[in-house]
Amino acid sequence: MDIKPEYDVLIIGGGYAGMEASLTIADAGFEVLLVEKEPSIGGHLIQISKVFPTTDCAGCITTPKMAAVPKHPKIKLLTYTEVKNVEKIGKKFRVKLVKKPRYVIEEECIGCGRCEEVCPVLVPKEFEYGLIGRKAAYIPFEMASPKKALIDLDNCIMCGRCERACPKDAINFLDEPKEIDVTVGAIVVATGYNLFSPELKKEYGYTGNLTRIHDNENPNIIHAFQFERLLAPSCPYHTVCLRPGDGKIPERIAFVLCTGSRDKSLGNPICSRVCCMYSIKQALLYTSAIPYGEATIYYMDIRAFGKGFEEFYNMVKELGVRFVKGKVAKIETNENGNPVVVAENFETGEIEREEYDMVILSVGLLPNGSKEIAKILGVETDPYGWIAQPDVNGNPAKTSVEGIFVAGTATGPMDLPDSIALADAAVSQCIAYLKEVKD
Amino acid sequence: MRERVGVYVCHCGGNISDYVDVKKVVEAVKDLPNVAVARDFIFMCSDAGQDLIKEDIKNLNLDGVVVASCSPHLHEKTFRDAAALAGLNPYLVEHVCIREHCSWVHSDDPEAATQKAIWIVKSAIAKVSLADELQPIRLEMKPEAIVVGGGIAGMRCAIDLAKAGIKVHLIEKKPFLGGRAAQIFKLYPSGKTGSDLVKELVDELKRYPNIHVYTNAEIVEASGALGDFKVKIVVKPRYVKEGVSKEEIRRAVECCPVEVLDEFNYGLTNRKAIYVRESSYPEEAVIDMDHCIKCNECGIADFEQKEETYELRGSMIILATGAKPYEPKEGEFSYGIYDHVITLPVFDRLLAVCDGKLEYEGKEIKDIAFIYCVGSRTEEHEYCSRYCCVATLNAALGALEKFGKLRVYHIYRDIRAYGKYETYYEKVGEEGMLFIKYDPEDPPVVERKGDKLIVKVRDLLTGGEELEVPVDLVVLSVGMVVEEAEIFNMLRVPFSRDGFLQEVHPKLKPVETAIGGVLIAGTCQFPKDTVETTASASAAVGRAETYLVKGYAELEPFIAEVDPEKCDGCSVCVEECPAGAIRIENGKAVINEALCKGCGACGALCPTEAINLKGYKYEQFRAMIDILKEA
Repeated sequence: MDIKPEYDVLIIGGGYAGMEASLTIADAGFEVLLVEKEPSIGGHLIQISKVFPTTDCAGCITTPKMAAVPKHPKIKLLTYTEVKNVEKIGKKFRVKLVKKPRYVIEEECIGCGRCEEVCPVLVPKEFEYGLIGRKAAYIPFEMASPKKALIDLDNCIMCGRCERACPKDAINFLDEPKEIDVTVGAIVVATGYNLFSPELKKEYGYTGNLTRIHDNENPNIIHAFQFERLLAPSCPYHTVCLRPGDGKIPERIAFVLCTGSRDKSLGNPICSRVCCMYSIKQALLYTSAIPYGEATIYYMDIRAFGKGFEEFYNMVKELGVRFVKGKVAKIETNENGNPVVVAENFETGEIEREEYDMVILSVGLLPNGSKEIAKILGVETDPYGWIAQPDVNGNPAKTSVEGIFVAGTATGPMDLPDSIALADAAVSQCIAYLKEVKD
Repeated sequence: MRERVGVYVCHCGGNISDYVDVKKVVEAVKDLPNVAVARDFIFMCSDAGQDLIKEDIKNLNLDGVVVASCSPHLHEKTFRDAAALAGLNPYLVEHVCIREHCSWVHSDDPEAATQKAIWIVKSAIAKVSLADELQPIRLEMKPEAIVVGGGIAGMRCAIDLAKAGIKVHLIEKKPFLGGRAAQIFKLYPSGKTGSDLVKELVDELKRYPNIHVYTNAEIVEASGALGDFKVKIVVKPRYVKEGVSKEEIRRAVECCPVEVLDEFNYGLTNRKAIYVRESSYPEEAVIDMDHCIKCNECGIADFEQKEETYELRGSMIILATGAKPYEPKEGEFSYGIYDHVITLPVFDRLLAVCDGKLEYEGKEIKDIAFIYCVGSRTEEHEYCSRYCCVATLNAALGALEKFGKLRVYHIYRDIRAYGKYETYYEKVGEEGMLFIKYDPEDPPVVERKGDKLIVKVRDLLTGGEELEVPVDLVVLSVGMVVEEAEIFNMLRVPFSRDGFLQEVHPKLKPVETAIGGVLIAGTCQFPKDTVETTASASAAVGRAETYLVKGYAELEPFIAEVDPEKCDGCSVCVEECPAGAIRIENGKAVINEALCKGCGACGALCPTEAINLKGYKYEQFRAMIDILKEA
């Protein structure tokens, strides 16, 4: 690994905000070290079908950045790498990183996928949220950057088939974690978000089991990021929008908004900012894919607040998507395996029961390990576990430690334009810090 | 003539291949005489797709590339960069669009879409066959920028630029910096006052001598292009002697006998004809000549001061001109008919200026109704103004905190307390304030009964029950509309449908406008709260620094080129050039490369075909037309 002892900026997280910050600051002429804990950069955005309100394909926005990052002469990318320790010395930071073992020699792997073909182990594929499987030797997804294989040793049976199939002799079962020490001038935290686990909302009947129907286990109740995959051009079943339970085309679907958001009982009282809009967008994509399909959205308030959002909401309403202001009490399962939504309609005061072919839980966003990274960095978090912004009105990219800045959804749920704005804001704060330290 | 062209047809993950038969497109061109290879792939823009092209360039020695995929707006640069990495001049890549132009618009007729794609690809092959190797134009970028608007966005921009060592000219039309944020009673989520925030920014701004502030300034001319903008401003005099002390100013304000309504407080209080703004900048007084009686009681007046004109230069311009509150129409929820129907910004100032008890127009206020979405989500302004829900909840809480017991009704459509602002919504509920959801088709009506205002509203939360809510004050939660500025027209920046300034792309170029070097920050782009405003300001600076800190910009080489052999100096082009980039020297046209925008107007009009646009030559177009004639 050709790693220099010193970089101008360390960027933690290779999702959209981290990539944006890396490219902007590198374009301004600074040396960037970008660290991503997953085996590929791209974050959540690369898993998404299209973005609201413009319905551009998310891949068209993400893949060029994913291709540009490793190509940029001023960016050093380390994937599958975590930040272990950070110490501030004067105005700079001593950083200890650990590169996790891929069990594949990264420099040798050509991403041909032969190891994947011969591997006999099948486990749920993270990229598809378990809708389909992957092998124990695998490339995370088609558009991964870097497009390199890795071996999931927890599930590997050590049969050695991949080793024999690899044309480059790149498999190395003896690979070990590597510690890397670097000094950086400034740090940007872009660790992003995680999804709320819908299993925790027991009344909604989601179990994550996508293959069988038992009592209270209904594979036709999925979460919105799984639905995102079903609607994506690179969808897992190679045909848009089949329900996982039996492969039927769902003709009536419902969205349950605020699953895991605005819900004190689940410990997340705040609103997740994006679920209204992504659900409206999904309803549009669904009715475009299945023209005879009917979509219903159960909501508390429709929060269509960004540029072009209200117009988008109005258009989708006019196209016939049904909006019901109501709180979903529970989701039951009918004898035919169809989910039944039981909701109080706020406008009629009635309890209504309706059967659907598939129900989508519009899950909220939670911090992605920001408490842990905050501890390592010594920055403060807010009451919900997001990175705190001590000068939020005047300088939102600032954290409680001078020289450490924050980008994107590490500060809380937000949509893509807001996330990008905060990423570029972190860039200007980094440049200001680096320049002032130098003078 | 290019002899070894590679052709690459993208599926765009089904976006194209669902309607355009990409294999058929490849088949149709792969045997053309100057095509060395033709392939299709699921995502040409991905790493793997780009590698495919790069490998072919090296292994097959390609001298031209055609990529047929999405719009060149998205990925032309991606493919040019890929070609350059493989050693091919990037301008020998022709990117054509078979998604927006074929699959998306002809999804009803896949066969015709495929045929059209074939012709588009064939014409691109003809064009690239005659392409020249070109070099990008390098523009030096002096570290100097112009920021228009001295609100919190403009100040944030100026500070961030200055910290990076860039000289800034900050232009504000009002006599003081601070903008509308200064008027906010209490900011969310920090709880500071608007003027606290302004003061903090002013304190920071004062530390940087490379920020030049021009208040009371009017822009009279703006011109130029990336790397060299010129803005001419006229600074109106303050009519106050220079170098007077703070104490002298204080005394002068005290002595002034003229009292006028203070616009900062929407006329809720008075100010003198000579005045200063606490916690703003500059810390100098100004005389309001519309009201001054020239008595010179203040003793520091200087009525001889004249307007001054400055010509400012900058490599880039950031527009931070802001937005203004929607002004309700006469009679809209009885606004303008009853005194006690006011707007949210006025209510905010009322909270700030009232002491002890909440009073308006001689009446103590105990019951308040807020009506939401006034001037937003309507036929006239379809967009949601984003900030008003939380600002209203926050103002209601602020009122309760400062004045104790109040009965408050929130008459709303959806409460858009997004993200962490949900806690404001919750708090308001806990405080026992009531929510009434109205139907925009049947909006609330405000009437007067005795000394009370009555809001008649049908509440959707109780099955459409007719309610009559008696209150002392109705506060209209007004949206934002763009603040018009002359400079928009001078620079020809485009607007979006909602009347705000249009970014090039909400995700890929979120702070850039279609005019190279002109960026946008804050609420001139769309309604934003203060957090989003300062974030977008810093973001605009971040993007600007890719040029200003680096010190140069590289631009596309597509500019006009004169063949002096053919030019007869008729000067038709000189008259037609919108950029003023052509002059006649020794009887021949000469192009100024820094000014030419490559619009091609000159070439189209030149009677002798002496002017060619680099990358778009006459012979290339003729070759394309020849191909398309067959279609």
